[in-house]
Amino acid sequence: MSETNADASEEVLSRALAGEVAAFGLLVRQHQRAVFSLALRMLSDRSQAEDLAQEVFLQLHKSLASISSTAHLGFWLRKVTANRAIDRLRREPKIEAVPLEEADAMASETLDPDPLLSRQLRALVGQLAPAPRAVLLLRYQEDMDPTQIARALSLSINTVKSHLKRSLAQLRKQMEQSAGFST
Amino acid sequence: MNDELEKSLRFALRPVDPGEKFTQSVLARVAEEQPAAAARQRDHGRSYFGLPARPTFRWASATLGIVLTAGLFAAHQWRIHRTQQGLEARRQLFQALQVTGENLDIAYRMVNNQEPAGNFSRTR
Amino acid sequence: MRILFQKLLTALLLSTALAWADPTWATPTGQLQLPNFDSLASKAVQTVNITLDPNLLSLAAGFLDSSKPDESDVKQVIAGLKGIYVRSFDFDKDYAYPANDVEFIKKQLTQQGWQQLVQVHNVKEQTNVAIYLCASQGNANGLAIIASKPREFTIVNIVGSIDLQKLHRLEGKFGIPKMQVDAQK
Repeated sequence: MSETNADASEEVLSRALAGEVAAFGLLVRQHQRAVFSLALRMLSDRSQAEDLAQEVFLQLHKSLASISSTAHLGFWLRKVTANRAIDRLRREPKIEAVPLEEADAMASETLDPDPLLSRQLRALVGQLAPAPRAVLLLRYQEDMDPTQIARALSLSINTVKSHLKRSLAQLRKQMEQSAGFST
Repeated sequence: MNDELEKSLRFALRPVDPGEKFTQSVLARVAEEQPAAAARQRDHGRSYFGLPARPTFRWASATLGIVLTAGLFAAHQWRIHRTQQGLEARRQLFQALQVTGENLDIAYRMVNNQEPAGNFSRTR
Repeated sequence: MRILFQKLLTALLLSTALAWADPTWATPTGQLQLPNFDSLASKAVQTVNITLDPNLLSLAAGFLDSSKPDESDVKQVIAGLKGIYVRSFDFDKDYAYPANDVEFIKKQLTQQGWQQLVQVHNVKEQTNVAIYLCASQGNANGLAIIASKPREFTIVNIVGSIDLQKLHRLEGKFGIPKMQVDAQK
């Protein structure tokens, strides 16, 4: 992020902290893609994802005073979204899953060079257990490093690395079993 | 190597925007949770001061006007401060209840064996 | 939650019996003396520091909308309370919080009037949660929760007359998790 953008974001956060509703709305717009997408790919259900994402932002509104910077804000949102999604999946494991390719239909704003592969990968990610799924999404969707992921999910770094390794191996194996995927 | 797979994963997992309707829903829910009392913050009275036509009392009236204005301003500021303090106390109250509930929930789930057997010990 | 209620009832009966047995038994206040955590806050990546004394609780109650059922429930929960104190810290490395601070608090919880209701430990995730109740003469006048993970440390101290039934009604609202008690059947 450029220095100008970073300053602007800190300013929006300060204004939101001061109680300005419009500034809070800006924060929502800035981060809703990440929060919603994380929820969507965890829960595999668009309306559940919207509901969860809304709850996260409501919680943010209540907890705003504990946010110290925009970096912290990003981390906080991802942490809360992932943990809430994991809790929901563990409490309600039978969430009626809409096929991910339908729920995720808006993914391509730019042309996808291999939509079939992308769809397949998203479906396979949706089949992982809650914790490994969250780890994978935080790594490859949110670009968080293993240390940050460990902090966000209250796991050890070794557990995070193990989840990543096993999940990638599982995905690879499943992809290789379908035709057309080469390394 | 995993490089190709990771690259494909990153592409497949590009974030999705939920749309402006989502943003409006969030803000609507936030607004619902604000107490009606927040509206009182905007509802402050105005005072009007008229200086008497006779010059003799102009300074006395002006001084009285300034004192009254300062007093009203101070009262208004105190009221705003009190409202902000109350809203902040309310926010902290909800946060405290949330933290309490979260930790009671963790204890409840652990007590009721929602983790696989052998993963925890119980002393009571 | 059912187990917690049973233990609460046991604690209340026990404390009532003790009060009759020894009338000189000092009345515990239910409030913990919390250490100054400023140095901890400077190391934490996220801090929650809440101090709601009787005045602030009363002020907060004034900003709750009684016409809304949920906020009315909150008003009822806090009606008998004298204070709510929360200190919660998240760190980016393991065990950044000093053990002697935790021990200082736990020592207070071994004093007269306090009884441990629940202590659970998850070996896999190294999570500990302990819940204590302070009761005298048949009344609960303090609740304490100490929760710790390698990178998180939380203390909650609620002072005053606590009605856990009313707290239970707040589940699923205001970000408070819903405990699926009936789902266990």
